[in-house]
Amino acid sequence: MATAMAMNRIQHLTGSNNLVPDWMSKEVSTGTTIMAVEFDGGVVIGADSRTTTGAYIANRVTDKLTPIHDHIYCCRSGSAADTQAIADVVTYQLGFHSIELDEPPLVQTAANLFKEMCYRYREELMAGIIVAGWDKRRGGQVYTVPVGGMLVRQPVSVGGSGSTYIYGYVDSNYKSGMNKEECLRFTAGALSLAMERDGSSGGVVRLASISEEGVERRVILGNELPKISRA
Amino acid sequence: MSIMSYNGGAVMAMRGKDCVAIASDRRFGVQAQMVTIDFQKIFSMGERLCIGLAGLATDVQTVSQRLKFRLNLYELKEGRQIKPKTFMSMVSNLLYERRFGPYYIEPVIAGLDPKTFEPFICSLDLIGCPMVTEDFVVSGTCSEQMYGMCESLWEPDMEPEDLFETISQAMLNAVDRDAMSGMGVVVHVIEKDKITIRTLKARMD
Repeated sequence: MATAMAMNRIQHLTGSNNLVPDWMSKEVSTGTTIMAVEFDGGVVIGADSRTTTGAYIANRVTDKLTPIHDHIYCCRSGSAADTQAIADVVTYQLGFHSIELDEPPLVQTAANLFKEMCYRYREELMAGIIVAGWDKRRGGQVYTVPVGGMLVRQPVSVGGSGSTYIYGYVDSNYKSGMNKEECLRFTAGALSLAMERDGSSGGVVRLASISEEGVERRVILGNELPKISRA
Repeated sequence: MSIMSYNGGAVMAMRGKDCVAIASDRRFGVQAQMVTIDFQKIFSMGERLCIGLAGLATDVQTVSQRLKFRLNLYELKEGRQIKPKTFMSMVSNLLYERRFGPYYIEPVIAGLDPKTFEPFICSLDLIGCPMVTEDFVVSGTCSEQMYGMCESLWEPDMEPEDLFETISQAMLNAVDRDAMSGMGVVVHVIEKDKITIRTLKARMD
């Protein structure tokens, strides 16, 4: 490891390091495609399952859908270490707040906690997070907190390196008033397309639907993915 | 950003009993983005001779074309097919001519001698250093993964059917751990009387 770090300092100016392999020098990144969709009564969230260190696939079955509270999840993209650390802190803060309130927390509260952290430490962090869940006041909600620490609520949100390839698909296929099954198919389709095009996304599609009843998780394996592109 | 990993890609070759196999992935991408899934990296240079080129895509195409040109002239002058070892020297010469402004490719050659049908595999670096081995050669962005797979799966004197299965599994599992390679695998098995070309069903991510 010491060799790798010494080599890195010398080599970083040249932009490439041939003396140690990627997995000893590059930061672990959840390359990624993540997505969340609101429907009447809840939200559907989805993510791919690839974690890369440079070009090496360090984990091909990653779980990027992280529970923050009983009815609130977050989708993580960017630096794996940063997003895990932020999610852990917010989980603690939200749990504490919920106990004080003696009520389930609002999704907007969770989203604001993420925003506070991502904005305050924006220079040190590389994290793009989508917060989604259900609460009694406003039902299903999706809030996106991209790199830099902005916060905005959207009916559909995509994130991660693979999201750039599916803006067109999402914009043309989204209809308001979709039910849970339609949202699940829409999300799986969008993620499949992104996973095919983006080298940093791949593996399996993890989906979850969150509603008043609770959280229902499912996995779609590579060979069962919807075939959308006719290539 | 490394020039050798700008487009990504992987090729390997294995030696068997009176046969050789050469395989490549099919992806053409620009850094993380995939552009096409049917990019040719293995080129036929004789009835029983193939070369696989991994590295910068533009050089893969240019070198294969310039090499074919030199090979055609050789065959016209000599009136016979080239031996694999001689072809290796031809590739080495072509690459070393560009010693101080090289082609960014690392080729892999697999073939049978036109007269004795002796199997032959070798690889070269981007400035033409040749390396002949008895077992397997690999080249590309996932070379570490390919070395691991080959070292564990290869055994000497495999029949063509076994060699096909072995090289297929080695390629598939190596490229599945590399974000810049994959999108399909094509395998050529070269025997005395035929070449079998198969495209494998692979992960498309």
